[in-house]
Amino acid sequence: MDRKGEKMKILKSNGEIFDIELEKDLLEKNRALAKENRKRFDKFNLIAIDVMGSIGSGKTSLIKAILKKLNMNGKIGVIAGDLTTDIDGKRILEEGARVVQINTGKECHLDAHIINLAIKKMNLNGIKILFIENVGNLICPGEFPLGAHKRLVITSVTEGPYMIVKHPYIFREADLIILNKIDLAKAMNVNPSQLEKDAKRINPRAPFIKTNALKGIGVSKIINILGLKS
Amino acid sequence: MHEFSISSEMVNTILDTAKKKNAKNVISILLEIGELTLLNTEQVGFWIRELLKGSLAEDAEINIKVIKAKIHCKSCGYKGDIKQNQKDFFKHFCPQICPECNSFQIKVEKGRECTLRKIQIVK
Repeated sequence: MDRKGEKMKILKSNGEIFDIELEKDLLEKNRALAKENRKRFDKFNLIAIDVMGSIGSGKTSLIKAILKKLNMNGKIGVIAGDLTTDIDGKRILEEGARVVQINTGKECHLDAHIINLAIKKMNLNGIKILFIENVGNLICPGEFPLGAHKRLVITSVTEGPYMIVKHPYIFREADLIILNKIDLAKAMNVNPSQLEKDAKRINPRAPFIKTNALKGIGVSKIINILGLKS
Repeated sequence: MHEFSISSEMVNTILDTAKKKNAKNVISILLEIGELTLLNTEQVGFWIRELLKGSLAEDAEINIKVIKAKIHCKSCGYKGDIKQNQKDFFKHFCPQICPECNSFQIKVEKGRECTLRKIQIVK
């Protein structure tokens, strides 16, 4: 921002000048709303999981794979976030979950306010697990907690060898890090152990799980770590 | 990346407040942005300037104060800067270890702000 020449200002208006203190923290507002969401989840005694990850990393496929394995018809809810389409929502409906589709339009992330509205739309009675599929993005969602109990981040070998090291913030926030499409590692000339090392360096506390979501490989481990039971 | 939505939210708040207070115009705006947020201050400034065009805050001076990060270590009680820690490769984005005792039990006390602190209006 070039502010040269703005240092001195002649005010032509002859009105009186007032200082107005606002103290309005916009990110704090989101964090407060996230806490409200958490309370609502706890009231319904459900576990909410924020699924974050890059574009095309396999967020929807992973949710589908977990749903398939758990086989808990009607007891799982999914809030599917996407910029413009309901493709993901429909894919998840096939697995018998309750789905609310959110289209963010031009927003690059879900925020606690959008989730607040979405959970009012969904009947949470009888829901045991609620997945919140975030918008595909490894930058913005990290800064906007939604109130979920667990946050997982999924990336895949097809995104190349530097995805984790380039986005430390979101991986640092994760409770679980998933490397998907592990079957393609060789073809992509990507070394999964290096990605695991990167993940451990950024976030030594988060378990690192390799998956092939389409085939359901590694999915049971995720279910165990997240404490999900059918 | 989300500078646009944050800036829009700020501009809405600025203009709403100015209207409520019956301001003729807004002459200055003070924002505080923590250095650990993923917000680029240049971009925030740019968007606010753009979004204020044609409004009663069009000519307002936009001041953005960058808030330095401060951490508190629960293990050794260290309170202070993050920058001293040379071992922590990612300290600029997301400090994770205490510069004194290398513990992971740290809490970020400052540096995550994104605050519209003050506006100055003319009535």
